[in-house]
Amino acid sequence: MPNRSYLFPIAFLLLGLSFLLNLSLGSVMIPFGEIVSGIFSGEWTKTSWEQIILNYRLPKALVAIFAGIGLGLSGLQMQTFFRNPLAGPFVLGISSGAGLGVAILMLAGSAFGFALSGINSWAIALAGVTGAGLVLSAVSLVAWKVKDSMTLLIVGLMFGSAVSAVISVLSYFSGAEALKLFTVWSMGSLGALGWSQVGILGILIALGCIPVFGSIKSYNALLLGEAYAKSMGIRTETMRWLMIGSTGILAGGITAFCGPIAFIGIAVPHLARIVWKSSDHRVLFPASALIGAILLLLCDAAGQLPGFASTLPINAVTSLVGAPIVIGLILKRNFSRDF
Amino acid sequence: MSEFRQHIALEGKGLTLGYLHQKTRKLILEDLDFRLFKGELTCLLGPNGVGKSTLIKAILGQINPWKGEILLEDEPIQNFNTENLAKQISVVLTDPVFPGNMTVGQLVALGRTPHTGWTGKLSSTDREIVEKALSDTKIAYLRDERLSEISDGQRQKAMIARALAQDGQLIILDEPTAHLDLVNRFEIMQLLREIAATKAKSVLVVTHDLDIAVETADRFWLMNCGTPVVSGKPEDLIISGAINLLLPGEKYRFSLERGKMEFEIQDSKFEFSGPQELVFWVKKAMDKAGIGKISELIQVTHRPFSIRYKDLEFAQISDFVSFLKR
Repeated sequence: MPNRSYLFPIAFLLLGLSFLLNLSLGSVMIPFGEIVSGIFSGEWTKTSWEQIILNYRLPKALVAIFAGIGLGLSGLQMQTFFRNPLAGPFVLGISSGAGLGVAILMLAGSAFGFALSGINSWAIALAGVTGAGLVLSAVSLVAWKVKDSMTLLIVGLMFGSAVSAVISVLSYFSGAEALKLFTVWSMGSLGALGWSQVGILGILIALGCIPVFGSIKSYNALLLGEAYAKSMGIRTETMRWLMIGSTGILAGGITAFCGPIAFIGIAVPHLARIVWKSSDHRVLFPASALIGAILLLLCDAAGQLPGFASTLPINAVTSLVGAPIVIGLILKRNFSRDF
Repeated sequence: MSEFRQHIALEGKGLTLGYLHQKTRKLILEDLDFRLFKGELTCLLGPNGVGKSTLIKAILGQINPWKGEILLEDEPIQNFNTENLAKQISVVLTDPVFPGNMTVGQLVALGRTPHTGWTGKLSSTDREIVEKALSDTKIAYLRDERLSEISDGQRQKAMIARALAQDGQLIILDEPTAHLDLVNRFEIMQLLREIAATKAKSVLVVTHDLDIAVETADRFWLMNCGTPVVSGKPEDLIISGAINLLLPGEKYRFSLERGKMEFEIQDSKFEFSGPQELVFWVKKAMDKAGIGKISELIQVTHRPFSIRYKDLEFAQISDFVSFLKR
């Protein structure tokens, strides 16, 4: 067995480098050395650099790390639980739910002819969490009734479609201004959060990780399918609730604060399997968390368009940058064989 | 009477099983009695749809009996929780789910799942048991191979090793030899027999492979629609003719001489001379070709093989049969 645990220090090193790169790139280039000495000594060559790093880029980089970890972990949970390589954090309709919450906040006023004042990032996050929570509760009610995980998956996808349709209707009737606002939200953004929101997101991610640690063994047993897992003493019913709870908090929280971030959640677990060549969740969970964080940091850095004042939306970048990478890896190694 | 001296691992008493399908009760099995003994390889045989899978599900505690009970070591199966049942019964199922990245060693180690702590980390005892399971199934050399890169027969052995590592009283296998070639089928069943005998475990195999089951099983359970489970040594069941329970109608019968299922031949009247074993195959080919009555003697000779019929001589059965068909 190729023991690839030596990859973890390398991944941590890469994470550190991506973190620095992410902090350094932007409309203003700040050298690595300045960032390191600035953060540790608190003395900056230019005060503008201090402002940029501490108030804008550092929270953004942390959000990228948190979101990367959360999406990677929830994607891996979904893929193993449903034994489906196409599953991701949003298959149970979580992002659509959050989208609906935000859409109602941003579009309903315009669509129904009244104005909602004071749309700030807190309100958006709250609307997102509420929406994701509602859809997740609906899916959970179904999960209570159905025994079969494949049915649950289909129901989740249907809920997502139905909710997206509601959003479409809202969009159709709303004004140009509100629509633009919502469209921008739906492209995702890592940089819109202040320190206090970063703290909340961090707490949510930590909370969502607890069920993951608790069920590593169960996920390994689930690799052989639900029937085998049961025969090995795994309570798959309990696991389903842990899984719904964990991905709800992780993916729901991330979508509420950052908007939907496509692609990462599906691609990262595959990358972890390909790179670590393992199916053991004791390896795959930390590996997915690391790769998720690295990938999102790099995608965000790439979206900064060094030298330009504007940035690309993160949702577009993850797909633009990530898709070719993953296609390349998959072509090199037949990934369904690894799954 | 010898049954009473043997240790009963699993016992069914007046078991009635069924499903609730859209508010109608669908009865599958009624009033079954059965006993599974320690140290024996038991084969459960019966036509498709007779309720074998339902019975297995009930033994695994996944469905509750309508009537009667299943006792595992004299304790009703409902009294075991998922984890404790997993410590007693392990399974090899038909659905092939194999994560490609997993190695044989990791797969077998998964068998320790009900015995390990929350991270699934193996203790030194666990590791010893895994090694033992690998060597008992003679696949220790495959330890580091990935499941996607070994043959079907090797994978099935790995699944059996996993079940063995789970270390329960009882191993249940659902058609473990389906999709395997002839040699592998024999090897797998022989392996299961060894496991049952040397590890003092009860092994229950659901199979349709009558030939190989006759060769390897210590006991048969025969199931057919509407009849109780017939249990006994395969040889006893063959001699008593109870084995024909598996064969519907008059078309087939179990040949006492050959130990396998055959078409009931409608009195083909051929006259033969020559060695018995050669005549058998010539006759078989003629029966298959649907050749009716032949009045004259067919002489079969050995070394070199030849068939004499009337004044003609044939070196191969195919020539002879095509001549007769003309």
